[in-house]
Amino acid sequence: MTAPTAPSPPPLLRAQNLVKQYDGVRALRGVDIEIRAGEVHALLGENGAGKSTLGKILAGAVPATAGTLEVDGREIRIRHPGDAQRLGIAMIFQELDLFPNLTVAENIALRNPALAEGFRVRRDRLHAFCRPFLERVGLPVDPATRLGDLHLGHQQLVAIARALSRSARLIVFDEATSALTEELVANLFRVIRDLRAAGVACIYVSHKMDEIFRICDRITVLRDGGFVATVDAAATNPDELVRLMIGHEVNTGQRARSHATETAVLEVANLTTTLVRDVSFKLHRGEVLGLAGLVGSGRGEIGRALFGLAPVLGGRIHKGGREVRPRTPRAAMAAGFGLVPRDRRREGLMMGMSVRDNANLAIMGRLSVAGVLRPGREAAAADRMATATRLKAGSPHTAVRTLSGGNQQKTLLGRWLQREPDVLFLDDPTRGVDVGAKADIYQLIAEQAARGAGIMLVSSELPELLRCCDRILVLNQGRVAGLVDARTATAESLLRQATASGAPGEGSL
Amino acid sequence: MKECLRRHRDLVQSLAVLGLIFSLAAVCSPRDWRTGGPLFLQADNLTNLLRVTTPVAVVALGMTLVILTGGIDLSVGSTLGLAAVVAALALAKWHWGGAAAIATAITVGGLVGLLNGALVALLRVPPFIITLASMIGIRGLARSWCNNENIGLRTAGDAAVRFVDTWSQKPFMIGLFAGLALLVAALLRGTVFGRYVRALGDNPTAAVYAGLPIKRVQLAVYGLTGLLAGLAGVLTAARTNTGNPNDGIAAELDVIAVVVMGGTALTGGRGGIAGTVIGALIVGILANILGLRNVDANSQLMLKAGIIVLAVVLQQRRAAR
Repeated sequence: MTAPTAPSPPPLLRAQNLVKQYDGVRALRGVDIEIRAGEVHALLGENGAGKSTLGKILAGAVPATAGTLEVDGREIRIRHPGDAQRLGIAMIFQELDLFPNLTVAENIALRNPALAEGFRVRRDRLHAFCRPFLERVGLPVDPATRLGDLHLGHQQLVAIARALSRSARLIVFDEATSALTEELVANLFRVIRDLRAAGVACIYVSHKMDEIFRICDRITVLRDGGFVATVDAAATNPDELVRLMIGHEVNTGQRARSHATETAVLEVANLTTTLVRDVSFKLHRGEVLGLAGLVGSGRGEIGRALFGLAPVLGGRIHKGGREVRPRTPRAAMAAGFGLVPRDRRREGLMMGMSVRDNANLAIMGRLSVAGVLRPGREAAAADRMATATRLKAGSPHTAVRTLSGGNQQKTLLGRWLQREPDVLFLDDPTRGVDVGAKADIYQLIAEQAARGAGIMLVSSELPELLRCCDRILVLNQGRVAGLVDARTATAESLLRQATASGAPGEGSL
Repeated sequence: MKECLRRHRDLVQSLAVLGLIFSLAAVCSPRDWRTGGPLFLQADNLTNLLRVTTPVAVVALGMTLVILTGGIDLSVGSTLGLAAVVAALALAKWHWGGAAAIATAITVGGLVGLLNGALVALLRVPPFIITLASMIGIRGLARSWCNNENIGLRTAGDAAVRFVDTWSQKPFMIGLFAGLALLVAALLRGTVFGRYVRALGDNPTAAVYAGLPIKRVQLAVYGLTGLLAGLAGVLTAARTNTGNPNDGIAAELDVIAVVVMGGTALTGGRGGIAGTVIGALIVGILANILGLRNVDANSQLMLKAGIIVLAVVLQQRRAAR
């Protein structure tokens, strides 16, 4: 350790006032962070807090909009992954950036200047080069194995071995355990501890509380793209972290008036798919049922299963007292279901088509006679939809591509509201929309409930759920962790249930 | 008016290119030795130009829909050849009436299209592969049905001669193309089916989430393209007095070139029938003027290649905006 009188050496990495802007959305707004050599540093925060964005900036996957970065006290710029690689920064992505059809050795040594010998690749040399790194990460496989034949957890170890082979000094792990079994997690942690002992710094992006306390030395909490605090793991506890993640200025806003009735419109019993297990709940007419959980908890999967987009492996679905098992979205729509998907650009809208054509796409039958469209009916429907959703667009013929996020979302909502489904599943409908549009969307949800529809609302923002819902179903790793009354629940209690590990449903850490 | 212009900017641009090429052709055209006027502008030459272009243009109408859905159909040339052979066999060997022979040939084309559509929709193999396979297979079928021989129609009896006389007339061919173009344009613009075609090509994932009848749409666009390829085979047989199993070799590429020149994006969703008609006219005028100036066939191919690349580059510029 340094003597108290000596000036402390500069940290391995220091970031100041980092800003990242994506098309009008601020993913990071002025984050400061300091990483020391040989520490495991957690980045903690709710979905959308900016954790992954920060990691990606350091790895050169996305450029920062503003802010300064220093390595060893020298100011540097990271514009692309090559820059990060030269500085010894590597990132282990959730979606691994490896080549499944190349061998393990080729993946590790690809583009490694140390092995450049013109065009010729000496396989024996290549394998000899890779073996020590594979040993270090505890992966006992032949370097000639095709990467795609390895288990996902082992592929991740290959990515780490590659980082080591490039003499990485800082490795960013982005939700590294999301697809791993407990055994593989234990191995990963052993590798991380070895790295720490060897003086390599690790940034550990996660929202799993127990893992953070198992492995991390210091914790930086982010919220809404902003820096909250950096704390020593030894000097804090899960409750404090949850408070930091949510913040004190939690404003749940005006609670919506309840329209819930006693008539069940949907009963789901033991629904099981590849991502969720034994999910059971009842949805009533006029009720808004919230679905809380982290990304990957299976909250969106329930909607996809009901809508015929994810295969149902077990369980029963009763709608209005009759058993249904929709196998395609068409069948689900005929049975009275509606689904507003999470990613409106990829899964929702036809970006090149007009507002009118997007909004009317799911009610073509009503707007046509024998397959021939009636322009009068099309225009009337589009007008009604625009009025109901308070849509602001130049004309019904404006391409949705040119609209703001909020107006795009209203167009997509309009498509489904026009069908007046009995059960409407909304997957994060306020994601990336402005405050005004958010209020309009809350109003639309309340109107649909008043009409008598049963609504399921997925949201990453807990205050939103507390504001809009009657009850909230909390999901944790594909299982129901609790069903709570939204009037009595708090953001803290929901987050605790959503992040608790071990036995699900326990509701504590 | 301004709004209208902006919405149809692509079309306005294509029209401008058509006008330019038409004017260039008129200027570059050799002169008539009697009147001194450009040969290119003579009514006989212009109608001939349209007649020669018609078979490819007819198929391009269907191909436009296929490409709008994000697909491609490489089998249309072979289907054209098969239909020409079927029509000629029916007239010359089986001695059927004209109507029955024509209907059968077009139906055979439609069946090939439906088969393509069914395989694309059910097997989820890329349309490029499926229709590449049928391009190869259908050509084999066409050749084996006529034992690799051309079937002449001029000496094959009254019905055959009547068929050739009617179906090779300029007004008939041009009218047929104009009528079909209007019909397919109306189908695309004014029907639920047309809306689904565009939506599917614009965003196939969202089309699934919106519950569109994707398989039926695919079946329909490939089926329609097969029908039109069958019709083009009948037209070709009439114009050449022959059922030739090698008719339409590489025609699929001419057809795709016409569609792309008309501003329809190969990625799907963008484009339309008006553009394809313009594209067909551009290709037709180019072939015609190069022929009038006695540019040899091989140089024509090289020039065509350059123009296709130029058209696609321009189109990508537009898409990027």
